[in-house]
Amino acid sequence: MTFRMKWTRVLALALAVLAPAPVLAQEPPVRIGYAIARTGPWAAGAQVTQEPNYLLWADQVNAAGGLNIQGKRRKVELIGYDDRSETETTVRTFEKLMGTDKVDLILPPWGTGANFAVMPLAQRYGYPMLAPTATGRKLIEMKNPYFFALLQQPDRMMTALAELLAARGVKTAAIVHVDELFGLETVSALEAALKAKGIQIVEKKSYPLGVKDLSPVLKDFKAKNPDAFIGVTYPPDTFLVTAQSKEIGFNPKVFYAAVGTAFPVYKQRMGESIEGVMGLGTWNPRTSPAAKSYFDAHVAKFQKEPDRWASAHAWAGLQIMQQAVEKVGLDRKALREMIASEEFDTIIGKIRFKDGENVLTPGIVSQWQKGEFEVVWPQARATAPVLLPKPEWK
Amino acid sequence: MSRRAPLALVLGAGAVLAPMPWLLSDFLLSLALSCLMYAGLAASWAMFSGATNYLSLATAAFFGLGAYVTAWGVAALPWPAVVAGGGLVAAAFAALVGAAILRVRGAYFAVLTFGLGELVRHAVTYGEKRYAGTVGRVLATAPSPATVYLTVLLIAVAAVGVAVLVRGSRFGRALAGIGADEERAETLGVDTRRVKVAGFALSAFFAGALGAGVAVRWTYIDPPAVFNPFIGFQTVLIAMVGGAGTVGGPVASAVVFSLFTEFLRLRFPYAYLIVLGVLLIALVLYLPGGIASLWERPGRRRAEAPSAEAAGG
Amino acid sequence: MSLWLDLAAGGLITGGIYAVVAIGLNLQYGLMRIMNISHGEFLMVGAYLAYFAYTGLGLNPLLALPGIAGTLFLLGLLVYRLCFRRIVRTAPGVEAIEARSLLVGFGLLFIVQNAAFVAWGADLRGYEFLAVPVDLAGARFGANRLVVFAFALAASLLLLVVLRFTLLGKAVRAVMQSPTGAHLVGIDTAVLHPVVFSVGLALAGVAGALLSMVYEISPSMGEPYTVTALIVITLGGLGSALGSLLGGLLLGLVETFGMHFTSPSLKMLLSYGVFVAVLLLRPRGLFAR
Repeated sequence: MTFRMKWTRVLALALAVLAPAPVLAQEPPVRIGYAIARTGPWAAGAQVTQEPNYLLWADQVNAAGGLNIQGKRRKVELIGYDDRSETETTVRTFEKLMGTDKVDLILPPWGTGANFAVMPLAQRYGYPMLAPTATGRKLIEMKNPYFFALLQQPDRMMTALAELLAARGVKTAAIVHVDELFGLETVSALEAALKAKGIQIVEKKSYPLGVKDLSPVLKDFKAKNPDAFIGVTYPPDTFLVTAQSKEIGFNPKVFYAAVGTAFPVYKQRMGESIEGVMGLGTWNPRTSPAAKSYFDAHVAKFQKEPDRWASAHAWAGLQIMQQAVEKVGLDRKALREMIASEEFDTIIGKIRFKDGENVLTPGIVSQWQKGEFEVVWPQARATAPVLLPKPEWK
Repeated sequence: MSRRAPLALVLGAGAVLAPMPWLLSDFLLSLALSCLMYAGLAASWAMFSGATNYLSLATAAFFGLGAYVTAWGVAALPWPAVVAGGGLVAAAFAALVGAAILRVRGAYFAVLTFGLGELVRHAVTYGEKRYAGTVGRVLATAPSPATVYLTVLLIAVAAVGVAVLVRGSRFGRALAGIGADEERAETLGVDTRRVKVAGFALSAFFAGALGAGVAVRWTYIDPPAVFNPFIGFQTVLIAMVGGAGTVGGPVASAVVFSLFTEFLRLRFPYAYLIVLGVLLIALVLYLPGGIASLWERPGRRRAEAPSAEAAGG
Repeated sequence: MSLWLDLAAGGLITGGIYAVVAIGLNLQYGLMRIMNISHGEFLMVGAYLAYFAYTGLGLNPLLALPGIAGTLFLLGLLVYRLCFRRIVRTAPGVEAIEARSLLVGFGLLFIVQNAAFVAWGADLRGYEFLAVPVDLAGARFGANRLVVFAFALAASLLLLVVLRFTLLGKAVRAVMQSPTGAHLVGIDTAVLHPVVFSVGLALAGVAGALLSMVYEISPSMGEPYTVTALIVITLGGLGSALGSLLGGLLLGLVETFGMHFTSPSLKMLLSYGVFVAVLLLRPRGLFAR
């Protein structure tokens, strides 16, 4: 061998012998990159449901010494950017993280639109992504092998609602929904589910995002006197229909507003009026001891509560990733294989993916009772019995 | 004024930028694409609005229409047809409404075009929902990133090139004349109505083509994303900061702005827009002629509202 | 209450909300041709101040209004001095003032909105105040909405009175009609401009505080309100205080009746359709003289 190579070997050997003991050597951190909405319209959701969980998780993992990868403990380094609620910026940032910075792992952005955009990139670069805030048949139908949707899809959620209504003898329903992909898909799932249970839809109206007054619609509904009001609504509209139903005295036996009821701000904004209101949820601190300690840790770090729906899915996604990484290391192909085939234990119960969809978490209906968003359906998961009819608005 | 040199510059830049898909990483390529997109948008905006002083905020409407043409057509039509179609649909729309709306000026026109953009957005939302049963479209088939980049490069080069050609032509002088004194231009024999509509439609074409080209990058589009008024605001901002009476100003501004914003965003993940806002205000207050005033010859220096340079061209 | 009256009342109340949002912007544009595109951001600041006053200090938002108005007035003086004074002084013409103040407005929008994101976080916030139904001749309305409506009327009328009968008001109208003439009779625009600008900002903050009683708040809540304000003042005639009140009420009525007789999905189409139509047919606004 050459002179140079020989001396390099000797040097290396000498260093290896003379180097300090391994316990003082720092392992390189595991670099986890993401872009998420910190400003713009998506930020309200992203900053309640998703990014706080990323930060909390990294804190907890590092406090425990780091991820346990093939016998070595390696700390987590989060590399997060603001995507400005812009799809183009999201795409570009993930190209940087995966293509240029070559991070070890990625975490998904918030919302169906952004996840749609990042999915092809994840496949191209080979990074599995576990998405807690993406819904839609079209998304799942893309059959992207690197994409895993944690959230219960609309059909499952609406079937659960229909089951609850049927079990409690509800015969008629009035529906209002937002003119958005989520609204449309959820409503068609709802219509199918209600039809299957023989519940009649007496009225169905839709509205565009940004509407500031729905009282004409609600007054119309009131006149038709349905057993159930079902609003497939986004947070601003959820607040609006709640406040305005109270104003006009529209008080059906069942009052359901889809998105936003699970947010802590709903309670803050609506006060005691929310007693009996139902919506999309999955958990609360009483679901399990693990859920309670997650809840407490979240409140301790951020002085605000996680939401009662997708926050837990975000946390579950991180748990799954951690479990997978600690089993197979950072080989992303192996990670993908593992996530796609195994069953995992998380704070929302067992999760397994089939064709990229979480098939073990059932559709759930939650209801505000005495200041907590209780899980009331299915009964196997319930933390409280269903309160029906809904008490008068306070 | 010689148009040869600027045109050669534009084409030369295009040639230099063409091999980038094979030289740059995905991220840098996307950044370059972003610069090119805004260069094209700003140059075509300035070509019409900078000259005539009809400050249009309709860019988002044209961009979005182009994007939707892609959404509707990309699975069935060849790529060049889709992109050209996006431009043509936007231009047709501009021509259609232009005759009616190109009568009020200044802030009124800005607000009117803004309202028009929102009207288009809500019309598309409603139409899609009612007749197609969906809001938002998945673009499952997409050409390769290199193709998309080259498409945007081509459109940007065309937009800037056309802006240069227009500026030195009779058409361009007519536009500037309308900007300086519309009534006087009429009495001098300019068919102001035709000229305005043509200019409006021409600038809309490029905005629509760019929308059509870029939409595939997002895999899923919906009205709020593609009819985002911010695209219009940013175009106007870039063009005016660059110096809306020139061609080089908006182009330089687009590049500087895109690169600088990206640098800030990556460097200060939480506060960069604040820095941007401060810089923008400082720029407007202390360099009101725009970036272009840094190199425009003193005799030709003009405020961002170009005045009586109708003859100077 | 009959259907028509019910709808009309609802429309007027929503319209009152729209009018309140527009008052401040109207003043700034009418007097100085400053199209303050960051108007909604200061509205948002007012909303947050009311929120903190209520949740942090337990202060009734209505009582907090003077404090909020005062804070925003001072902020307005600062903003004018730093950002707009130079434009008004050095711009070669009215169109240049409009164009440059538009750009500065964008800069302010970035700064204020993102400062809010950084300082207060992106989460939605809200509180409950006066969310009790009130019975009016058989129909029920939220007390908080009625309060906003009452305030819109009161503020608009007060502004009209001030503009018509006080010396300050006459000075403002004089400058609106003829800046040079006003100068000749000794009206000092160097004092008038900042004052009027800041009053506009203060009104935006007050509108925000009132709105926080009815709707949830977030740092990005401002832009839709800026848009609404623009529509309202364009409908009513730029610079006309009575016009923006009537424009707001009209917009509310159009929306409410439109939503009922067609469908809520068409609400946005209707609003913008009316807006564009008015701008084309009567660009000076419906109520301008």
